[in-house]
Amino acid sequence: MVYSLGIQNQNINTLRKQVSFGKEDKKSKCENKDRLLIEEKKKHPVSTAVKIQTDKLVNAFTKYPQKGLEGSKNANFYEFLTMGTVPYLIGSAAMISVFNLASKFFSTPDAVSACKLGKKMGIGVIAYGILKNISKKFIEVPVNLRYGIDVNLPYKKVINELPEERNKDNLVSYEYHKAYESVDFPRWDLFYDNEAYGKERTAYYKQVGKKMGISDEDLEHADQKVKPLIKEKLIQTKLFSTLSSYFWAATGVGIAMQKPWENMTLNPKKRILNYKNYKQAVKQAGDKAKNVAKYENIFKEFGKNFVKSFKEFINNERKSLRIAGRTLFGAAVGLTLLGNFVTLLNFNKGKGSREKAAVSLIDESKEKVVC
Amino acid sequence: MTNVLNAIVSNKVPESINNGNTPSFTYNTYNSEGKIRPLDYKGKLLPSKIFGSPVEYAKDLKQDVLNIGKAVKGRANDHELGRINDLAMKMGSLGLAAYLFVKNPLKLSKAMEFAGFGTFFASMALWPKLAIQLPLKLRTGVDIHQKYIDSQGRKKMLHQDPQYDLTDLYTREDLDRMGEKLHVNENLPDRDNFIKQRAKKTAVQGNTMWMLTSGFATPILSALMCNRLEKPIGKAIECYENISSSIAMKKDTQSGFIARLKQKLADKSLEKFIQSNSDKIMDEKLIHELSERLSKNVNSASFQDAVAEELKLLKNNIAFDENFVKEAVRGKIPQDLFTSLTDKQKTLLDKAIKEGSTRSISDILANAASSSKHEQMNLRKSLYDLLERAKKTQETPKLSQVTDNVKALYSSVARFAAEKSVLDRFIDARIGDKSGTYIANQWNRVGETLIKSLHLNSKELKALSQGNMDVMREKLIQLAVDENLYNKAMSDLMKLIYEYEQKTGSEKFTSIIGSKAKEICTRASQNMRENGFEKIADKVSSSSIKGTIENTINVNAAERVSGAKSSFYRLIQALDMFKIIKDNNFTAKIQSALSDNGLDSQNHERIEYLTKQLEKIVMSATSTDYTEKFKTAGFKLTEKEYKILMGILCEPTEKNITRNMNSYINEEEFCKGLNAYKDEFMSKVANWQNNMTKELSRRTVTGATNGANAVERNNLVGKPIASMIQDIAKQTYNSQKWLKIFGGAMAVLTAVTLTAGLFMGRKSKIEKQVEKESIKNG
Repeated sequence: MVYSLGIQNQNINTLRKQVSFGKEDKKSKCENKDRLLIEEKKKHPVSTAVKIQTDKLVNAFTKYPQKGLEGSKNANFYEFLTMGTVPYLIGSAAMISVFNLASKFFSTPDAVSACKLGKKMGIGVIAYGILKNISKKFIEVPVNLRYGIDVNLPYKKVINELPEERNKDNLVSYEYHKAYESVDFPRWDLFYDNEAYGKERTAYYKQVGKKMGISDEDLEHADQKVKPLIKEKLIQTKLFSTLSSYFWAATGVGIAMQKPWENMTLNPKKRILNYKNYKQAVKQAGDKAKNVAKYENIFKEFGKNFVKSFKEFINNERKSLRIAGRTLFGAAVGLTLLGNFVTLLNFNKGKGSREKAAVSLIDESKEKVVC
Repeated sequence: MTNVLNAIVSNKVPESINNGNTPSFTYNTYNSEGKIRPLDYKGKLLPSKIFGSPVEYAKDLKQDVLNIGKAVKGRANDHELGRINDLAMKMGSLGLAAYLFVKNPLKLSKAMEFAGFGTFFASMALWPKLAIQLPLKLRTGVDIHQKYIDSQGRKKMLHQDPQYDLTDLYTREDLDRMGEKLHVNENLPDRDNFIKQRAKKTAVQGNTMWMLTSGFATPILSALMCNRLEKPIGKAIECYENISSSIAMKKDTQSGFIARLKQKLADKSLEKFIQSNSDKIMDEKLIHELSERLSKNVNSASFQDAVAEELKLLKNNIAFDENFVKEAVRGKIPQDLFTSLTDKQKTLLDKAIKEGSTRSISDILANAASSSKHEQMNLRKSLYDLLERAKKTQETPKLSQVTDNVKALYSSVARFAAEKSVLDRFIDARIGDKSGTYIANQWNRVGETLIKSLHLNSKELKALSQGNMDVMREKLIQLAVDENLYNKAMSDLMKLIYEYEQKTGSEKFTSIIGSKAKEICTRASQNMRENGFEKIADKVSSSSIKGTIENTINVNAAERVSGAKSSFYRLIQALDMFKIIKDNNFTAKIQSALSDNGLDSQNHERIEYLTKQLEKIVMSATSTDYTEKFKTAGFKLTEKEYKILMGILCEPTEKNITRNMNSYINEEEFCKGLNAYKDEFMSKVANWQNNMTKELSRRTVTGATNGANAVERNNLVGKPIASMIQDIAKQTYNSQKWLKIFGGAMAVLTAVTLTAGLFMGRKSKIEKQVEKESIKNG
């Protein structure tokens, strides 16, 4: 199926009018083209992140599978990647179920021991997910603070779909990408003429260049100068955040495998019952309420168990286990520190400056290829 | 797009662009001759395979590792970063598996951690291949995970991004094959394009299905694989442990091996510990710490006590020394006392100090310089104080003063510990009190065979797992009644028990354990005696003392082997008894026994009661029930009835207890073993005269000389069949329940996925219409 460019252009123009609801206000104008969500992220970082994640999650479970199963010609790689959340979430739930679901059919002693393991596995799965995602920030945030390169800066992408059997009218959809999600094709264009960074066309690149220690003189064509350097930092940030995240995740599971978790009540029904019993005991004890064993809320209990488990993990009585725990934790911390070292230390300072540019970087003797 | 490009090259404006609303313009053909041009595209499809080769995998892995190096320098592309992500995931998981490997104490659990790691990634890779990719390829000819290699040599998925169309890479053969399987009409104009679109569509559908199902499939499939792998891995570990521990036993005599082992087990921080505590007095606490360190690898609490005793005996070997005396008396004794002493008196004083004895004070003072009575008294008192102090100093030396002795003691213990560790490993692999040993695995095999023989449905299995005696009895009776089932069960069980007998019998590893224990304990004991460490030497091996390590090793091994053996024999005895009870002449047999003992042989109610009691005895009697001669509430037997039932129970088993005896078993030999057990059981447990309650003390390692001690009786009684069946039923039920839930879920998921696959790549209504019209219009 080949569609001509003319039709595409016409469609876009028509659609722009449709989507702007007849109002040429700033917002509706923006919705017709891809735009960075800088303002939203600055003003409402949490709600923006929640909104984007919710949109992705809902689509990953509803719209995209439907399109995919139909074999829609509008299905794309973004949708495929977004659907990657589905196996993560379902897989986590299935993993927890594998260790917990059958135990209720077992006899009491077997169920108790199965439950202990199941509890640890459940916490392990959740710890894996949380630490894997949070740990990336240990490198991404310092890079953002140091250079102003926000690896996760989102942009809203407007997709003009091809008409299909199922859908002939509603041909505009939105996707939430990250400007730097691809190191091969970062969305450089979105940073030009972006008022959020200044009035100049290349204001963003100048800002980053300055933070990278490039002199004003060398920033005459800031975009050309800074883009390769940003790309380098992007690759390093992605590399170390990825490498370290899996070791953080493994550390999380390791901590979850410790004994203190075995005694924690996670079942909401049991927790409510325990709380009621506690209240009743306090009531009955009257003046001697102080003697009643304290009821700890789930966060407090979780915190205490986490501290105990962490200590057990890195300071175990068994020497071999102590070494193993410290090695795993050390690998996670080490990779994070190394990532910060490599990304934050500006090895390229002064690279390509006018002074140094006296010598041509292009080797005339080699064959040149235009890709 | 191709149309537009073609138009540009041919200097024509396509109609779609040059319509009324668009300003017209002309294109100049670009003359690329002699200019820099893009290189020709070198990308090609890779052979379509379901499973990649290990060599290819290793090459890719190497490339991924090299890519990390590139990425550190800030040079990598999306594809490489994506592959690094997959590698990092494996590295993290491997790290976690390694941690859990260290955490788990048992070898099987350790191995299962890596099995879990392997199966997880295997299921992650296998599920889409087997449930989606392969069926779709067979049905439609489209390989949804078809790989290609691009101009830069990167391997990628052809259908990864549906908007990045690479279907031009398909060869003529590929298109024909897919066209045929997708039933694309051969007369369709632009047929190739149609096939390519269908292939893309199929790939999008397949990839979506992959994303939707792998979340369920990966963990469940991985768990199911682990479940299936547990037994073979357990068996492999058992074999490995048996072989490697046997090899180590043979190496034992070679001093190099033991020296290396000694080095390996050595307490590397002992020297540091001695140095840091050198100024401390050898008090209880220090002696305890030292004895713990010194005896750590011997694994015996009583040996540790013996080491502590040995340490207590270490004395500060102080000699007669004027400085010591001066320091000790702190000027209380006149200096001229020592100068006035004769050589003989000095020797006496030296001896007295060394011995810490005050007995020779009078002799020492015989010619003392001071003559007045008062001075004599003071002198005597001072000398007494001196000797007392010397005694105390000797008895509670500082660690630094006995370092050499401690090291010598450690050296004696270390060699013994190294030799014993080899034997311990040999014992542990076979009869250790843990899962995964030969004895534990054989126990499981016997239990599983029994459960299998009972042909239980899930309800019955659940009832047995809950210890329902009625169901258990009913099933055992059913087994006894069905000749074929009974013979098969007996034959299978006897084969396992016979095998156990053969392996653990006196000629086999119990005798190896015995002779090896004797060899290393005698040698160690001799060595310890030569170095003056009598206490630990006695603890290791002695002809006069019973509770030695040598004896303990032998007794423990014998007890462990006999405990399981008795339970196995008891099982055969029970099945045999049920068979006898169900035989028609059993009532006649019991009637005759009753009449021989002067009891009413026509009381059918009592006969039935006794028959039930006998069933109950074989099923659930414990050694306590035997001790109390079944006078307890559950049984209530008279002396005569007890004797009759025990007589029937311990009646020698006739040869031919099964009709179809397995050729593997020497039946005569088997029955001989079984009858020997029955005889011993009768004399030590089922004998009316024996009363275990009189022997309350637990057995000593000396073994019983008169009758049997409590442990011996316990071992002879073995595990009650009911509890044996319940344990194994519980294990089987839990396993089956789990398998039923997740195996069922996996089956449903597979069925849904395969069924969904049948609808993939199909022509939509419009596609059908387009196809039809295209053919019609030519």
